[in-house]
Amino acid sequence: MKNTPFRKIALGVLVTLWCTVSASANPEIAGKWQLDIPRSSPLSGWQDMALVIAVDGTEVEFTHQMRWRRTNYRATNVVDTSKTVTSDAFFRVEQRHMAVYPTKGGLSHTTAEWIDADRTLRTETQTMVEISQGDVPMRITSEYRIGEGAETLTWIALRSSRDRPLVYVFRKVKEKDSE
Amino acid sequence: MNRFMRTSFLAILALIIGSASAQANQGRVAWVMNFDGDWNVAGGLPEKAMLISLQGLANRDAPRLYIVHPPDFQWEITGPVFEFYQRKHHVDFTDVATADDALTLFKQYAKGYVVWDKTVGASLNVAFTIAGLEDAVVVSADLIALVEQHGLTPIDDLRGRYTDMSDAEIYQDAYDRYWDRCIKDAVMLMGGHRGRVMQPAMADWGIQRKMFFHDLSANPIHPVELALTKRLYEEMEPGSTVFGWHPYGKDTEEQATTLLSGYGFKMEGLHNLPNLSFNSQFTFTEGFKFTNNHNVERNAVLQAEEKVYICFVQSDSIGIGVWTKPGRGLLPFGWQVTMNWSRYSPAALEYFHESATPNDYFIGGLSGPGYMYPNHIPADRFPLLMEEANDLMTLLDERVLEIMDNSAADGNVGNTDLTKETVDLYYENFPDVIGFLNGYGPSRTRDLRDTRPMISYDYYIDPKRPREAVTNDLNELIKLNAKRPYFLLVHVRESNDVNSLVEVTKNLNGPVEIVPVDVFLKLAASNKTYTTRYQDPDEPKHFEGY
Repeated sequence: MKNTPFRKIALGVLVTLWCTVSASANPEIAGKWQLDIPRSSPLSGWQDMALVIAVDGTEVEFTHQMRWRRTNYRATNVVDTSKTVTSDAFFRVEQRHMAVYPTKGGLSHTTAEWIDADRTLRTETQTMVEISQGDVPMRITSEYRIGEGAETLTWIALRSSRDRPLVYVFRKVKEKDSE
Repeated sequence: MNRFMRTSFLAILALIIGSASAQANQGRVAWVMNFDGDWNVAGGLPEKAMLISLQGLANRDAPRLYIVHPPDFQWEITGPVFEFYQRKHHVDFTDVATADDALTLFKQYAKGYVVWDKTVGASLNVAFTIAGLEDAVVVSADLIALVEQHGLTPIDDLRGRYTDMSDAEIYQDAYDRYWDRCIKDAVMLMGGHRGRVMQPAMADWGIQRKMFFHDLSANPIHPVELALTKRLYEEMEPGSTVFGWHPYGKDTEEQATTLLSGYGFKMEGLHNLPNLSFNSQFTFTEGFKFTNNHNVERNAVLQAEEKVYICFVQSDSIGIGVWTKPGRGLLPFGWQVTMNWSRYSPAALEYFHESATPNDYFIGGLSGPGYMYPNHIPADRFPLLMEEANDLMTLLDERVLEIMDNSAADGNVGNTDLTKETVDLYYENFPDVIGFLNGYGPSRTRDLRDTRPMISYDYYIDPKRPREAVTNDLNELIKLNAKRPYFLLVHVRESNDVNSLVEVTKNLNGPVEIVPVDVFLKLAASNKTYTTRYQDPDEPKHFEGY
């Protein structure tokens, strides 16, 4: 394949874009965030939630720490602002009192981007869920909005199947508090 | 009335109690006490425990003493059923105001007293066992003077006997001393509330029938207690019943029920279900026949339209929760009847029947002739138990069976599915039902064989969930399940109220119709838009049992 001037320019643009995306990851999103239950949409089938978020270049890793009675459950989703991430174990904060389950063996595809001057990470996931009538697709659009001073994180999740978004407000857990 | 006159009057009343016991159901006399809501060990519990033990003795051969609890007690129906006894059984009740009065009236049924140790909770259960075997009233130290004023003498004193001993050690000692003399077709798992509050309202029944009382754990983190529980069960008769409830904080409902189901036993609770020693001595009133509000003929064939069909069911045993809440009758509602109450509390069942609105429909449950987890019932016990269930359903004019197996669940979430083998057994053993309901929390076991669908709950209404969120959840299910007809079965947890559900239904999207259970199942048989599914062995099971 010839290394034409056009290819060089295109490659340069791509590299610049990649660098921009990489550089724009807002490190303020990293850390542990504890759900502010009174200010959030009510959970159902879970009693508490915390998010532990780690940033590594273009990758953002969300570990959901869920609690239900004596059961503690951990599930991690990884998104990448430079590419679509495919997962066979995507975790959805489901309303567990609804008969809506992850499809067995189903794959989920997630894209992510920083928007609003890097104050918001927006993700979009296409996933499959099992309902009583079989398997159907669900789209989940999420925005993780970093509050002023990075004291709060607001996660707004809108599902293609639900007309109203779920809004979860988190407070940053100081390091000394999480020890 | 001064004390002397009052005591004399009560003594004369006591003399006529004996003759009253010979009367037939119609037109008998009886006595009633009103309890308050104080079950604190440091407060009202000791006196209540004494009175409940006295109730068990007084009611041993005739229904003499009934207890009415406040409306906010978990079993909210004691007042309405009390009124029912007066109206339909013509029971002429006399109020008993104090424990002193109760002893005056009923001391003749006690041979003495046994003292329990308020610092050792398990000693109360041992005392209840002794009470049944020795005809003793159960007292704490501070009540000794009262019972001695009535001429009762000590039979046993547990103070100090169990100090610093574990529950396993205490019940092993009780087993060694008393188990041989206790009945073997029933045991009293007097668990539930533990610690500063205890609610042993069912103790009258265990005392009347001379059961062994315990609150042993079915949790494998308590291996000695679990082993002793198994030993009890192994020495009990086939088809036995475990009365009471699991001990809060020691094990879970799932662990306790899974364990007893594995022996083919039935659970009948809760620990605070009152008055069985009284209720069990009545039959249905003369000429009464249980007739359900069937909306379709058993062999009717219906055709579903392109709609969303919603069906509401309350399955936490009729008598707790929604029945007396405002709004009942405004929506078609299915009510899971604890079928064994036809033996233990016929008047309560008759009360439900007579107070039912045309929108109230009774279904059988739970899983069989008592509360049990069918995935764990031994294969050789299953047909016998289900024959019993069929007989009860016939008696109660019920055509729908509700099934629940939470052995792999985590409370009201998680895996509540039935194995295919279990589903096969239900279809084989219930040829005459019009269908089955399954689950507690949401579940996904579904089937349709001949005209009998098996439908699981697609939604569980948490009473604490805001109604707007419930509405949004249901609308989401309606959107996801886009094929029409869609059959949306909803479990209404106890302590919800129907009025709030009426508001929810007004805000649902699409061509929604709320239908009664029997209509729902007939429609679900006509167009199978749901998948056939059983418990998948690969799916996670939350099971912390043995």
